[in-house]
Amino acid sequence: MKTTRRKFLSSSGAATAALGFPSIIPSSALGNADRPAPSNRIVMGGIGIGNMGRGDHGAFLGKNDVQYVAICDVRKGAMNQGKAKTDAKYGNKDCKAHDDYRELLSRDDIDAVHIATPDHWHAQIIIEACRHGKDVFCQKPESLTLGEGSLMVETAKRYGRVVSGGSQRVLQDYKGTVLRCWNGSYGKVKSINVNVGPMSKPCNLPSENVPDDMNWEMWLGPAPWAPYNSKRCSGSFSTSGNSWRSYIDYSGGGMTDWGAHHFGGATFAVDVRELQPNEVILDEIDGKKFVSLRYPNGIEITHNKPGVGQMHVGKGEGQRKGKEVPKYAGSGGITGDFIDCVKTRAKPFRHIEYAINTMAVPHLTVAAYKLNRSLKWDAAKQEFIGDAEANRLRNRARREPWQI
Amino acid sequence: MLDQALESLKIYEWGVDPKAVKSIQDAVVASHGDAAARKKLESTLADVLSTDVPRAAKDIVCRALKTIGTAHSVPALAKLLHDEELSHMARHALQTNDAPEAVKALVGAIDKASKKIKIGIISSLGARGTGVPVAPLAKTLTDKDAEISTAGALALGAIGSTDAAKALGSAKVNDTNRIAVCDAMLHCAENMLAHGKKADAKAIYGTVLKIGPTKAAKIAADLGVKASA
Repeated sequence: MKTTRRKFLSSSGAATAALGFPSIIPSSALGNADRPAPSNRIVMGGIGIGNMGRGDHGAFLGKNDVQYVAICDVRKGAMNQGKAKTDAKYGNKDCKAHDDYRELLSRDDIDAVHIATPDHWHAQIIIEACRHGKDVFCQKPESLTLGEGSLMVETAKRYGRVVSGGSQRVLQDYKGTVLRCWNGSYGKVKSINVNVGPMSKPCNLPSENVPDDMNWEMWLGPAPWAPYNSKRCSGSFSTSGNSWRSYIDYSGGGMTDWGAHHFGGATFAVDVRELQPNEVILDEIDGKKFVSLRYPNGIEITHNKPGVGQMHVGKGEGQRKGKEVPKYAGSGGITGDFIDCVKTRAKPFRHIEYAINTMAVPHLTVAAYKLNRSLKWDAAKQEFIGDAEANRLRNRARREPWQI
Repeated sequence: MLDQALESLKIYEWGVDPKAVKSIQDAVVASHGDAAARKKLESTLADVLSTDVPRAAKDIVCRALKTIGTAHSVPALAKLLHDEELSHMARHALQTNDAPEAVKALVGAIDKASKKIKIGIISSLGARGTGVPVAPLAKTLTDKDAEISTAGALALGAIGSTDAAKALGSAKVNDTNRIAVCDAMLHCAENMLAHGKKADAKAIYGTVLKIGPTKAAKIAADLGVKASA
């Protein structure tokens, strides 16, 4: 008997068969040259359909091997728009709209989800999705704290899930640098510099009336309680006070938002995606502070090193044997890579472990700036060495009743 | 500057520019390595918690105590644990406080806490991972409210010890807490594997398979059985 994609991903095929087939089977249900049969499509839902979520929704909806069945957002407007767009695509009313992601995750018919909520929700939803047996595509930055990162990696591994981060720029924006590092043109690479910022800051915006279409308690979720303010929860790309990306409780600011791309490109270029730094050195040149992150293999990533350009590569001595640059699986960029990996169970390009190793870079950098001192990091134990105070920064208590 | 910031706390409502209290965070960083300055700062901040300053001000104080808190500030924070508005920020400070007194305060607050707050306290104990007694969390597994037993299970999983695994093995599993109990046991088994205790890990995976796991947990337990062979 031929094994379908759906049977391969889950054993729910028997339950579907028990419901029986309709007497008239549309050609689309059997698949055709353009579209696989439903049993071979990846059934997906989306959680967080604002700015980046809208783009991801469109990307997955546009794939012939995806059947999009559910939308979730805490803003009714975004939720209804997402449902309408999905229904229009398929010419039916089948997309179910949810305002609580837990309802969506509990559905047995969904294979995979994409997540584009604010960052303070990422770990909670990724971990719960894995516990429900879903594969996950999550927008960057994947983690808000160091502690969340290791939990996400552990959980994905525990359940054998395909979990991909969502920085499309890592492979696309730094091609020249990456190629020269990987093909050996630079010889042995010693260092790379990333210029990015700012760090997120405390938020104390005044209270405003909660709009009728907003579930404010769910927007806040595990973050500390605060009154509604439109700037506090705006999904705009500002990191200077006009969106959640500016504020500590929801984001690491530009350091993690653009940092996920730039540090992602840097770690990829110098080939340390499988590692985390073990030293975080706070230094100063002409009164300007900067951070150097040293890896166990001797490679160094610097942050905002004065006088050094973006993605500038420091060349070491000796030759490096050229290697082929990794690329996406399948077609359709990073979302296509994810779908292909869901089918093959291979590691996606921004596999969660690589994503978390990348995110460790800005998190460690921020810790050094905040504490105003150099730090040593034990990646295996996921703890700072000999610095109890720094270790307190690894985790934050989650607002009740949220727990991971 | 610090005195000014402390004075500003009295009227620090939502909407006030955070720069007014920035000196508190600066003092936290500047006092690193100066035990006397730290003690004084901690004491001053802990005292603020018993005053009637606005909620936003107590929020700021708890954030500072998260970094510098010792046993000294535990009593002031513990008094906030049953406060619906401030319990979370009190936990924010207590969860990472290394003093055993912080654990004692969290454990001591479980029984009289409302459901939502109880879940929060249980989650903070789990997040601490080490130095947390298993018995009070094991007790929550028998709670009639499945959301509380779910929280207890996840916390025990995060602790991951032999005793935690034993408690989880005797948990009453229902449809509400099944995912959490399975996940917690899987977590414990991984901890055993990480410590080279393959037989113990295999036994836990076996228990997961016996209790009627979810589809996802069955896949995980099967993977675990292979890993512990």
